Amino acid sequence: MRYITIALAKGRLTELSISLLEGAGIDCTELKSNSRKLILTDEKNKIRFFLAKPADVPVYVEYGAADIGIVGKDTLLEEGRDLYEVLNLGFAKCKMCVAGPKELEGRMDSITITRVATKYPEIARMYFRRKRKESVEIIKLSGSVELAPLVGLSDVIVDLVETGRTLKENGLVVLDEIADISARMVVNRVSMKMEKERIGKLIQDIRKQL
Amino acid sequence: MKPWNLYTPEGVQDILFEACSQKRLLEDRLRNVFRLNGYRELETPTIEFFDVFGGERGLIRQESMYKFCDSKGRLLVLRPDLTVPVARVAATRLKNQDFPLKCCYIGNTFSFDELGGGRQHEFTQAGCEILGINSPEADAEVIAMAIEAIKATGIEDFQIDIGQVEFFKGLMEESGLEEHEVEEVRELIDLKDFVGVEQVMDRHKVKDELKTIILDLPKLFGPTDILQKINYDHIGQRASMALDNIKAILRILEDRGQAEHVSIDLGMVQSMNYYTGIVFRGYTYGIGFPVLSGGRYDKLISKFGRDCEATGFSLGINMALMALERQKKLKPFQKEGCLVCYEEGARKSASELCRELINQGIPTELDILMEDIEKTKEYAVRKGLSRIIYVNRDGSRKEYPL
Repeated sequence: MRYITIALAKGRLTELSISLLEGAGIDCTELKSNSRKLILTDEKNKIRFFLAKPADVPVYVEYGAADIGIVGKDTLLEEGRDLYEVLNLGFAKCKMCVAGPKELEGRMDSITITRVATKYPEIARMYFRRKRKESVEIIKLSGSVELAPLVGLSDVIVDLVETGRTLKENGLVVLDEIADISARMVVNRVSMKMEKERIGKLIQDIRKQL
Repeated sequence: MKPWNLYTPEGVQDILFEACSQKRLLEDRLRNVFRLNGYRELETPTIEFFDVFGGERGLIRQESMYKFCDSKGRLLVLRPDLTVPVARVAATRLKNQDFPLKCCYIGNTFSFDELGGGRQHEFTQAGCEILGINSPEADAEVIAMAIEAIKATGIEDFQIDIGQVEFFKGLMEESGLEEHEVEEVRELIDLKDFVGVEQVMDRHKVKDELKTIILDLPKLFGPTDILQKINYDHIGQRASMALDNIKAILRILEDRGQAEHVSIDLGMVQSMNYYTGIVFRGYTYGIGFPVLSGGRYDKLISKFGRDCEATGFSLGINMALMALERQKKLKPFQKEGCLVCYEEGARKSASELCRELINQGIPTELDILMEDIEKTKEYAVRKGLSRIIYVNRDGSRKEYPL
């Protein structure tokens, strides 16, 4: 039997992903053991795991280096990879939003937004091109995006909003919602065909827990 | 300073000796299989006018094409595909030919699409097309040919998934969804996003029975018997005909003994603007992308001013090679060939021997190093030859196996 390889996003999704896999009868002891090994296995079920930076998970899965991946919808939207998105796992929920100073509230259509700061340049570009039919200047940042409109780097930001507290404390408001975000399970297009039975069963076993 | 003179552009590659001979071998085998099955090869130019592929209602995104201008300022492209040029030929150069016509091609195509996982910007495609006929027999023939082609590459473990774009179009027609919603559903089904499809359906009043089938679409793939599970009662005439079409094709494939590798995927809804009937893809282990794809495209040739039905497929040779490599199925390197060396004054008889061996079909080279036997052996080993023959002045020979 071939190994089925699962790529897990390192970070806030890891623990919940592991408990779902355990619930599906997969032995994750090696995965939880804080080992330095990069690839961990469940020999009984012939399953291999590895942890990767979230943005890399869709890449591994698209290329077939991993058959299955667990990763946030934000990463999937940003990476735009050609994958099967088979399950909404429902955890790590938040929203991808356009946010900006309060003065812009309700006036999104009347102004010409020129500069957008974000960690998600592709999502921002797609939103402004498709939904607002605007050409904008995207400024890619790596963190603390809320700072950008405050110091005049950009007019608005595109970012994940969970509780909205950071926005509020900095005098920013949500101007528009782009997408609902949560953890998803993705499958390589070829693996889904070649390993239909095993992957199908795994999907079912995980779905039962949701 | 010439900063780039040592490099090749992104997405193109030098293919050196061993890899090159593997690739040629594969191409030769495919060419032979096509020829033995009655397909005639044609060659179209590497450069075409942009308008052939792009322009209004273009088939291929302009961002993915290599573009440049001719001396009159007209926009040219490096061909991104080989089916479209064949369609152009069918509508123009072949307009007086009797149809049906079976043709095939092997050639390089160019595209700026994503790199990696076996995908290059320049890649070789081998394919077959049957022009001027719409029948389940023709579609089955093309699928059978695709199976023969994959087998010819040496890939043993593979699967051909068959879908029918009319099935999806028929269901959508019945559902009464608006065009942009149909596109949304199509995208979601393509992603096998079960939840997303449900959300769209919940927003609309679609008959429950029909809704169930649409919701099931992402799951409607697997062995051919899943077709039996679909209830014809609520899907409408267009989708029913699509199902009958797949079943007819499957029966033909069974009679031809080629149903073994075939399965169904009714959720295969990519390239809907291109294909008009059956669609199929070939998958194997070791690579994350299909190794071949094809289908019926009855509207394409009319773009060039002639109504002509057509069906065909193309196989990615680079992708097939990568799969073979990953599956460790590439033939291992074998020592072959002979180096003929000679004592001073024996050049004439050495070169005669050389010619003789070449005529027998043995790769043979006459020594040009003129070094001692140790150095000569080193060269021959490096080259992968199987022996050295040393010719003496008196006509006697000594053989050194390697």
